Amino acid sequence: MAQRVQDKKPKRNKTAQAWMDENVAEQKIRHRAIVKEMEELEPKRKKWIRDFLKTIQTRGFNVDGDLLRKIPKAEIPKEPKRKHRVVW
Amino acid sequence: MARPHIEPYVELDAPFKKFDLNGFKGSHYKVLSLDTDTGACTLKVRFDGGFKRKAGMSYSDMEFFVLNGGVKVGNEVWGEGHYAFVPAGQHLGAMSVPKGAEALVMFNDSEPSFVESDRNHQLALTESFNSFNAYNDAPWGPGNLVSPSVATGVGIKILHYDVLTQAITFLYYMSPEFQQNNISYHDCAEESYHIWGASWMMQFGDLPTGGYFWRPPYIDHGAFKCKLGCIAVGRTDSKLHNYFHFNPWANPDENKMRAAAHLYRQRPQLYEWAASDGHNHPHGPPDFEHQHYHDDAQVRHLHNHAPVGVKEGTQKAPKKKSRR
Ligand SMILES: [Fe+2]
Repeated sequence: MAQRVQDKKPKRNKTAQAWMDENVAEQKIRHRAIVKEMEELEPKRKKWIRDFLKTIQTRGFNVDGDLLRKIPKAEIPKEPKRKHRVVW
Repeated sequence: MARPHIEPYVELDAPFKKFDLNGFKGSHYKVLSLDTDTGACTLKVRFDGGFKRKAGMSYSDMEFFVLNGGVKVGNEVWGEGHYAFVPAGQHLGAMSVPKGAEALVMFNDSEPSFVESDRNHQLALTESFNSFNAYNDAPWGPGNLVSPSVATGVGIKILHYDVLTQAITFLYYMSPEFQQNNISYHDCAEESYHIWGASWMMQFGDLPTGGYFWRPPYIDHGAFKCKLGCIAVGRTDSKLHNYFHFNPWANPDENKMRAAAHLYRQRPQLYEWAASDGHNHPHGPPDFEHQHYHDDAQVRHLHNHAPVGVKEGTQKAPKKKSRR
């Protein structure tokens, strides 16, 4: 395989590794805070989902661009028993 | 690629930190997202008036978008809305910031790096260098670049397009009273930073000015609304296909299976081939059109393959693992 500039990058030095370690650790904390914040949004989200499922039966579901299809009630999905997650 | 799912993240209240890496000393930064293996990252950087650095290059592809202020780079002045794609090894002229500036700075391959140099690296793929003002020098086009497409009311300016991976960087707007009543996911990672204005998604609520996300593949987002309009920088790491559906509770594994089911039905021969022969080509099958695509840094990045010549374990090279 031919080499690219990226392959010539010298080994990460101590300063860069320290920068990585610090920011990876902070990102972990940030991610946890986002997960918590999004879990707290679940009551509002439940209502948004109800509204959405109603809208796609009345105004319609955007199939492609502005093409709308009214979804029959029989096709509306049921909420599964598992915990609803939006951040992964 | 191992950037976690950061969504939503509103950076405006987070403090800037001193940027003490070579080439950035004297500036300040916030991490918006960071690949924990390779160091590839998206940063918001504040250059205070008086910032200067000599000419040089990075070992990573870099994208630069000026949010406000102005930066002098060599003979060019990068003002508000300026976008540059700077391939790894491409020499950039000396930088100076007379009155201060803020920019999104993306390092797509590895952590921020800079070495002083008055010329391009001999391996630099300089033909992909691009530098222009996205506000003034690129036209708005309709949002329906791909099919199935977003609803009317989204406009796009393409800033960068990668032929091999079909990764794109773009500026987009959503018009006032925009709505799109479906849930979307993609095979690619998707990234966005709201320059101004707010939009809403059913999973994450409002994303205001300064709002950011890095979203790995197959994660649901939408329905979508935008009350008053917004403008944002967007980016994908590979081809964007809109898989629309209306199951609010689908998870990424189910979404990925559904995408594979599309492939099974719509490109049966390719599915059969990939399912039966794929393991014989750990670095990708041959392509007579792009014979050397295996060498491409972004292609390898997408497959979590360590850079050529770097032995696993000697440089915290990315571990080989499947993407979500
Ligand atoms: Fe999307």
